[in-house]
Amino acid sequence: MTPQEVHAAQEAGTVVLDMRPPKPFAKEHVPGAVNFQFNRADLAERAELSVPVDGSFVVHAEPEPIAKIAVKILSDAGFTVLGHLEGGLKGWKAAGLPTAEMPLIDVDQLKAGLDGYHVLDTREGFEYRFGHIPNAELLEWTEPWSTMEAVDDSKPLALVCGDQVRSSFVASVLLRVGKNASLVFGGMVDWVERGYPMVKTPKK
Amino acid sequence: MIMKQFRYEPLSQASYLIACPRAKEAVIVDPIENLGSDFYVLEAADLGLAIVGVFETHIHADYVSCARELAEMNGVPHYLHERAKRLAKYEFTPITDGQVFEIGGIRITALHTPGHTPEHTSYVIVDTPRSPDPWFVLTGDSLFVGDVGRPDLLIGDQDLDVMGEAERAETLYRSVTEKLFSLPDHVEVFPNHYGGSTCGGVNMSGKASSTIAFEKRFNLAMRQPDAKAFGRFVKETAKPFPDNYSRIKSYNLGLIGKDELKGATV
Repeated sequence: MTPQEVHAAQEAGTVVLDMRPPKPFAKEHVPGAVNFQFNRADLAERAELSVPVDGSFVVHAEPEPIAKIAVKILSDAGFTVLGHLEGGLKGWKAAGLPTAEMPLIDVDQLKAGLDGYHVLDTREGFEYRFGHIPNAELLEWTEPWSTMEAVDDSKPLALVCGDQVRSSFVASVLLRVGKNASLVFGGMVDWVERGYPMVKTPKK
Repeated sequence: MIMKQFRYEPLSQASYLIACPRAKEAVIVDPIENLGSDFYVLEAADLGLAIVGVFETHIHADYVSCARELAEMNGVPHYLHERAKRLAKYEFTPITDGQVFEIGGIRITALHTPGHTPEHTSYVIVDTPRSPDPWFVLTGDSLFVGDVGRPDLLIGDQDLDVMGEAERAETLYRSVTEKLFSLPDHVEVFPNHYGGSTCGGVNMSGKASSTIAFEKRFNLAMRQPDAKAFGRFVKETAKPFPDNYSRIKSYNLGLIGKDELKGATV
């Protein structure tokens, strides 16, 4: 699909699934796009767990061979996929269309400003209970998007998980619905490595 | 660190993905056209990695490289030793001996190891979160497991064949003894070829990795008493030339186009 076609589809409610790693996504992406990272083995399974089944989608992945395969995997899994963004972000910008950013912070910034953030932990419940950042709230990445709309962002939201597949996805959904959200790059892996405080929640 | 060795068995060729999972960045070393650019792109994407560079140890003679295409697809540099400037007829990013590249927590140091070809470069890899010491070295076609890269693959062009066979053999001997064998004994060796590849001699092992210490002790070519004996040994134990090597090398140098390669490779 040309950038104009993708843009028109977005206006009609289609969601762009951006399959690139979180750093390039954070730097620049199609406004409203959701960061849904690529993987041949579990792309369909993750989509079934976390993406609205009745939605319509366009894939953005670079280089383009990834996009073509992602379109096939998701279509085979029964999702409505209109196609992929031809020419990637370069083509999008050449067509004069705007881009958006996703704010990134690291664990040192999060630790220093912890009181100022509402930390959302997007891992599974069992991972959260095993150990999480003090005052972090569990928001599993498989929650429906309507739940994301109800999230209180009176304090800026800081999204964490293990390796930024889940947190970047949720952060981008929150940004899509207009929330003030940042991705914590490095996530729990860096937090634990720095020896920053952890809280265990006993299993009920 | 993530390190994957990809083997293309019909040519006993090994290419590599080296990545920092924290930075989510990867480099590809010595990609082969038989697997194809899409293969490397998808392997990196499956791991959530952005390809940030394509490295080659040298300009290959026995297989078609897809380094140029892979670098262009990803909009990233294609690195070759600066010595290749005199040889290759395309744009690349020249590197020098000792140059260091940081990919997240991974440090890659270029080690110029000429002999097989004048621009040949090995890459010494450090995983800095684990140790400041090198962990492994990509030796390309300099040091193989059990053998060394053949120094006699010329292309028949006086401008390109900048060294003679004997001089290349002695240069290779010095590259291995003075540079690679100066690395700590524990350093693992990952070559560009193994087993039946015609880029080395009859003593190449089918195992595609080793260590500096093991090769110091048991590599028959490197057990020769001096550079002269080494040169004789390498010549005596050489395999037949690779199929169509002149045409493949010409393509990899940018002298001929892809259409002229038809039927030149398995």
